[in-house]
Amino acid sequence: MNKEKIIEVIKKNIVENLDDLENQEIDPQKSMKEYGANSLDIIEVVSCSMRELNIKIPRAELAEIQNIDQLADKFVEYISK
Amino acid sequence: MSDNILNYSLADFHFNDNPDVLSPPDDFEEWINHPKVSQCFSFFEQQLLEAPRVATRIHSNIDNKDHKIINLTSYNYLGLSTHPEVIQAAKEALDKYGLGSSGAPLLSGTFDIHIELANKLAEFKQKEDCLLYSSGFGGNIGAIQGIMRKGDIMILDEKCHRSLVDGGTLSGAKMLFFDHNSMESLEMMLEKSKGKRILVIIEGVYSMDGDLPKLPEIVELCEKYKAGIYIDEAHSTLMFGENGRGVAEHFGLEHKIGISFGTLSKSFGGVGGFVCTNKRLIRYLKGYSSPWNFSCAISPVISGGLIKALEVATRDSSLRDKLWENTAYLKKHLLEMELDLGDTESQVIPIIIGSSGEKLMNYAAQMQLRGLFLQPVDFPAVPAHSRRFRISASSQLTKQEMDETLNIIEDVIAKGDSK
Repeated sequence: MNKEKIIEVIKKNIVENLDDLENQEIDPQKSMKEYGANSLDIIEVVSCSMRELNIKIPRAELAEIQNIDQLADKFVEYISK
Repeated sequence: MSDNILNYSLADFHFNDNPDVLSPPDDFEEWINHPKVSQCFSFFEQQLLEAPRVATRIHSNIDNKDHKIINLTSYNYLGLSTHPEVIQAAKEALDKYGLGSSGAPLLSGTFDIHIELANKLAEFKQKEDCLLYSSGFGGNIGAIQGIMRKGDIMILDEKCHRSLVDGGTLSGAKMLFFDHNSMESLEMMLEKSKGKRILVIIEGVYSMDGDLPKLPEIVELCEKYKAGIYIDEAHSTLMFGENGRGVAEHFGLEHKIGISFGTLSKSFGGVGGFVCTNKRLIRYLKGYSSPWNFSCAISPVISGGLIKALEVATRDSSLRDKLWENTAYLKKHLLEMELDLGDTESQVIPIIIGSSGEKLMNYAAQMQLRGLFLQPVDFPAVPAHSRRFRISASSQLTKQEMDETLNIIEDVIAKGDSK
């Protein structure tokens, strides 16, 4: 699966888990916090996305990630392992 | 998973895909039973063999032997759980009332001793009324769940305790988290919540870092945006302020705090939680706070001990003076070792080790075998890049015990880090 498709999976889960984003374009260069996510929402979005992509990345390795694009890069790294 | 087993943590196994609902996730079992992970978990649930004094004994899971140990992990900050007058008062309550309350407070679990304790706590916190809970965790959950509703907004400091977050989840209110002690971040959240019922939730002392809230600025912002303030003084009651009433007293802002919460398990030396606020809200909470309504009332034995603990801690300032003297001594010498103590301003003193979980566990084992019970605090309880030890200083510490503690920390952590 390529990075664009991974970003689509993450975006879909952001829209499903956060309020009032149905018709809003999600910019991967932004963080989920900028779309109103709290830390519990972020855990939910990341978990749903990893389950959908069938990967498991330790949370400790995600601590430094700043935006959606960097999260997708991390997912790509694990999918290609 | 086996190539980076120690990178995984409890944060990674919350979801469970196992078709058998009576089983944990398959990969959780693979992880938790791995020898390296089992070794890390061996630090937890070690048995204390005596009272949680500074000088106590434990059965170590590291070498499976009993040890005399200096205990800097218990929250017995003022030594009240083992104070002779407190023990005597608890014994007298046991003789008079028996072991338990045998009922929820609403129906049959309210004793005269509960009313006396609640009234004394309300008076102490300078609020109109007080509600007692049989657990501190349950108290935060119960107060939040009883007050907040769907459509309301809770704005929490991101370092607030899990009990406050769980209370929020149960209440159905929307939770926003502001960056720790960032007034810019708090104002941004307040601005976008305008027009709603807003409760800002902070702590008196943040339990993993030992720092305080910026209360004067928080009060100013909450007044500007007409938000209520809920302060959890679990780690500050009986210690901060001229009269020991907590961090709100320390800042001279008690009258600006809408809801003041405290635990009875830390400096008080018992167990339970209490919420102090105006009479109208306490009356309302009694109708809607499930952990109060549907839990057995706090034990009368504990209540008897707690009334005495409050008296002992507030009749003069000797216990808290000693605590601050000991805290200052420990901090001075830890800083001389150039250890990273974060931004601590209290008796909670973190020693931040960094990102290596392996180093953290290795140091913990060495210190324990040398006679110091200082538990490791690992991710996800703290950020992955700042795993740490956390000293709970106590008024009970003697100079000899502090010097021995400092020797062990210097040999294991300070010299270990410089290797």
